[in-house]
Amino acid sequence: MMKSRAECVIIGGGVVGTAIAYYLAKGGMTDCVLVEADYLSSGATGRCGGGIRQQWSTEANTRLAIESVREFSSLEDELGADIEFLQGGYLILAYTDEDVAQFEKNVALQQGLGLDVSILTPDEITERVVPQLNTDGVRMATYCPSDASANPFLTTTAYANAARRLGVEIELFTPVTRVLTEHGKVTGVETSKGTISTPLVVNVAGSHSVPIAATAGVNLPITPYRRQILVTEPLERFFHPMIISFSLGIYFRQVRHGSVIGGFGDPDEPAGFNQTSSLEFLTTMSSKLAFLMPRLRSVKIVRQWGGMYDLTPDAQPILGETDGVEGFFQASGFSGHGFMIAPKVAMLVAQVVAGQKPDLDISRLNARRFAEGPVTTDRSVV
Amino acid sequence: MRIRQHPILEFEKGPLIEFEHDGRKLTGHEGESIAAALHAAGVRVLRHSIRLDRPRGFFCAIGRCSSCLMTVDGVPNVMTCVTPLKAGMRIETQTGKGIIPDVRFTHPPADPDYPRDLGNVPLAIVGAGPAGLSAAIAAGRLGVECVVIDENAVPGGQLIKQTHMFFGSKEHHARVRGIDIGEILLKEIEDLPVSVITGTTVLGLYADRVLALLRNDRFHRLTSDSIILATGASENMLAFPNSDLPGVYGAGAVQTLMNVDGVAPGKRVLMIGAGNIGLIVSYQLLQAGVEVAAVVEGLPEIGGYHVHAAKVVRAGVPILTSHTILRALGTEHVEGAVISQIDPQWCPIEGTEVELDVDTICLAVGLTPNCELGSQLGCEEAFVAELGGRVSIHGAGLATTVEGVYIAGDASGIEEASTAMLEGRLAGLSAAGRLLPDLDRNELARLKKEASEGLRTLRAGPFGEHARAGKRKMLELAGVRGGDS
Repeated sequence: MMKSRAECVIIGGGVVGTAIAYYLAKGGMTDCVLVEADYLSSGATGRCGGGIRQQWSTEANTRLAIESVREFSSLEDELGADIEFLQGGYLILAYTDEDVAQFEKNVALQQGLGLDVSILTPDEITERVVPQLNTDGVRMATYCPSDASANPFLTTTAYANAARRLGVEIELFTPVTRVLTEHGKVTGVETSKGTISTPLVVNVAGSHSVPIAATAGVNLPITPYRRQILVTEPLERFFHPMIISFSLGIYFRQVRHGSVIGGFGDPDEPAGFNQTSSLEFLTTMSSKLAFLMPRLRSVKIVRQWGGMYDLTPDAQPILGETDGVEGFFQASGFSGHGFMIAPKVAMLVAQVVAGQKPDLDISRLNARRFAEGPVTTDRSVV
Repeated sequence: MRIRQHPILEFEKGPLIEFEHDGRKLTGHEGESIAAALHAAGVRVLRHSIRLDRPRGFFCAIGRCSSCLMTVDGVPNVMTCVTPLKAGMRIETQTGKGIIPDVRFTHPPADPDYPRDLGNVPLAIVGAGPAGLSAAIAAGRLGVECVVIDENAVPGGQLIKQTHMFFGSKEHHARVRGIDIGEILLKEIEDLPVSVITGTTVLGLYADRVLALLRNDRFHRLTSDSIILATGASENMLAFPNSDLPGVYGAGAVQTLMNVDGVAPGKRVLMIGAGNIGLIVSYQLLQAGVEVAAVVEGLPEIGGYHVHAAKVVRAGVPILTSHTILRALGTEHVEGAVISQIDPQWCPIEGTEVELDVDTICLAVGLTPNCELGSQLGCEEAFVAELGGRVSIHGAGLATTVEGVYIAGDASGIEEASTAMLEGRLAGLSAAGRLLPDLDRNELARLKKEASEGLRTLRAGPFGEHARAGKRKMLELAGVRGGDS
């Protein structure tokens, strides 16, 4: 039987939702229920590439990312589970003058914050990092060996199991139909299995956060965009870093199982709830991969799938309390980089929900920033 | 161990050629599968597994299960059960995951008959087995242009290995051997607007009925107005200790090896399953000169036709009902098996264990419909145990829940070749009805009725009980969700 009353309800069983549940329970709020419309990591989390990057173009994002890697690196011990965490680095390729100018600025900023990032020439890339890479047209690259990756499914499951051990109840296949409010305060959540009375609700449902928030009269400026991804047959490991290029819009890495997993963002992708696979993606992505790594040409692709970015106007997440609805918290709009900052962000959101002062100020990421005037975006988004 | 003499079959083989296996020179016949050539040369271990380094042989022999992956000419993870042998090939036992190829990939030369964009076809049929070919004949006779695509080198699906005669009435090809039925169907399409593309895998189906094809390591795109999925089924596995050892083969694989390639799977076989497939394959093994130690069946009764059982028993092979296999013996490949009696709760009865001296264990424990392509297109599915697993929901006319997409044969629920042919015909008629608005509706209705009645006749009687129950459930689901035609 699902609880009919709880101290807090978390909506969404992705990595951020399960992590918030875990950190709330760890902080003493164990009477929590997490409701998920489908299965754990069935949304954006389970469909993402699993990269964990610290190389960002703004100071705030870079600091948050550094903190997240710190959390990730001790997560296996903390949660008592293997999440395939690997500090294999990120190699970011520059192809244009614009890339080069931006990357030089980024590296100066990142080095100032203590990040182990450096600039590599094309020869240094193939000599030191990825011998199989085709560097035709590559001007330079930035390389940060402490950037990392992990398995999103294992990470989410590890958080969920750790949360359960602390008393959190997780209800799968339980879609939320309405967030209930009275006099500007949250009173409960109505689900397919019944209503849970609660004074605290955290909305962590990715692109689906928008219709959920709307039931409480809250408008979130989030637009869903499909992104596609594919995976090859497994091979013995032959490269370690995540390789990305903003101008090609591509990213790929080799997972522990041995598969190469990667995708690219189609700039012409129309907005909408769409997770289907397209033939155009399969052919274009194959060509891009074969161009960047010619030896992948005779490697078979075994699967492709689609997922959704929950994109905000500044490609930054929406975190924290909601003006006008007391007890209603948001953690969505991660714009394609939720997994990599999940541990730290979840910890901070849990602190806010529990009424504590967060160890990093996240007020700059509150939804009210969109009402206060134009926003600036981080340039390091794939 | 090549079969030199066979009472029914003559094996037409390609020329004898040399190839290299782990540095050793071997000979085989050009065009036969690499796995068959190796088996004939006594090689059963094709690779070692990724995590536990266990030896692996082939299992399904039709390119479904990935048990036979080897490194061929430097390229890892090649499915050797469906890759034709060529002179001078360098074949290596693969240990673990395989290494990224260090060879410069070269496309085979482009074939002017097969451009990258193959244009549009009114009706695309996936699978050239009994269902797919029958669908092409039915639609082709009404004037629908069809393309039938099959990943095997030879069309006919599983018919090409059926040496037994079929039952039923004359119009359902009774008293004709499966291998000959395939020939008859292929002959029939000769004068029709039907083309068959073999050696071509449908990699995926996309929105608006677009097919992605792989042929000769080249990618092709084909669009269609209508699709019939006649993708057949995959062999079921059974879990027991050492069930992954080389020498544990699916029944279909054993048939391929001995009836298509002319290679004996072993010297002494234990057959698991006394359904029709288990019984027929046991008899075919005897025909090929292979000893069958026993047929083991978990149920208290034989599942297949008694005519088939009688032939096996007459040859002196015991059929052991209420028995199961406990484990396979051996380290690199099968060297024996332990069987035992089971109680009515299917638990082994202690003290009844018997060790059998066999080198091959053949699993004939059922099939699962291949539903992946329908899934990709968004066809709604349901799990129906009587049909063998997950199946695209379909109505009486075999339409799925996606407009213009039909299903037929084992892919729509496990039955046999005779019903597959009638389902194929029915699906072909349904597709033609949709594609040709000017078709005489009375004539179409008459043809569909004829096929439906044929199906009813074949499914009558106690052996059709499963199919009847399964199809009844399917109709109820289709009624709720649409998909009838």
